[in-house]
Amino acid sequence: MGKKSLLTEMRDTQLAIELIEVGARPQVLESETTLSRERLLKLYKEVKGVSPPKGMLPFSTDWFLTWLPNVHSSLFINIHRYITRNSDCNGIEAVLKSYRLYQEYLHTNQIEAVLSFTRAWTLNRFFESRMLETAVCSDCGGHFVVHPDDLHDKYVCGLCNMPARAGKTRKAKAAAELSAAA
Amino acid sequence: MKMDEMLDEMRDVNLNYLMLAQSMIQHDKATAVFRLGITQDVAELVEALTPAQILKLASSGMMVSRLRFDGGAVLNMLTNYTKDRSLAQSHAAILMAAQQAEAFA
Repeated sequence: MGKKSLLTEMRDTQLAIELIEVGARPQVLESETTLSRERLLKLYKEVKGVSPPKGMLPFSTDWFLTWLPNVHSSLFINIHRYITRNSDCNGIEAVLKSYRLYQEYLHTNQIEAVLSFTRAWTLNRFFESRMLETAVCSDCGGHFVVHPDDLHDKYVCGLCNMPARAGKTRKAKAAAELSAAA
Repeated sequence: MKMDEMLDEMRDVNLNYLMLAQSMIQHDKATAVFRLGITQDVAELVEALTPAQILKLASSGMMVSRLRFDGGAVLNMLTNYTKDRSLAQSHAAILMAAQQAEAFA
């Protein structure tokens, strides 16, 4: 590598700022831009006002298969797939755009975010390395995130066949009581 | 509704649709492609339409947009409130996002 191009550096800085704003962790920035770690940390502090969280990124595919995360990650991967298949947007840009669409969806339906940007980015990586894939639900025909090694002959998604205790969290109960009282 | 009125309203809807689609595409092509449910090729065609062409298309006596729910599944889900509403929405969103653009081409 010769001299660093000023233009690339500027573009990368712009990208890094956008990524930090949607909540990307430093590891994501490091692998998506050519900026040095020090510069990224400095940038992170300037944008967010606090130091980035430390520690490793979540690396397990299992999280994406649990009920609620599965619904959200399936939605994200469907958006991402549509965008990458039908436009020439790809790479990190496509992940960013899909994530914004996902966020907007949450916002319009007043649903709490489950998938953080870093998770979404990880999910995309898992798909690229084929550690996860989608299966078609035999009931509704939707595409859902599944493990490639499992059997999917008669796969039924978590929304068609809701697990008995799905969504019945303490928080949901408190919200229901609150709305009943009002 | 009289025939003339209906044709007028259809032209208005078409005009609105095409102009909105155009500005969405100009603003952010990839996002617009997803929202409109079209392919990039179609998006580029729409983007390049001149005002005169848009007018002509709009008053062709046919709707230029069409319903995106081919089967009843998504439509049912969006209008079915017996289940948890936000879950039905999520389910519908997943099915909508997975639809093929080719189906509308």
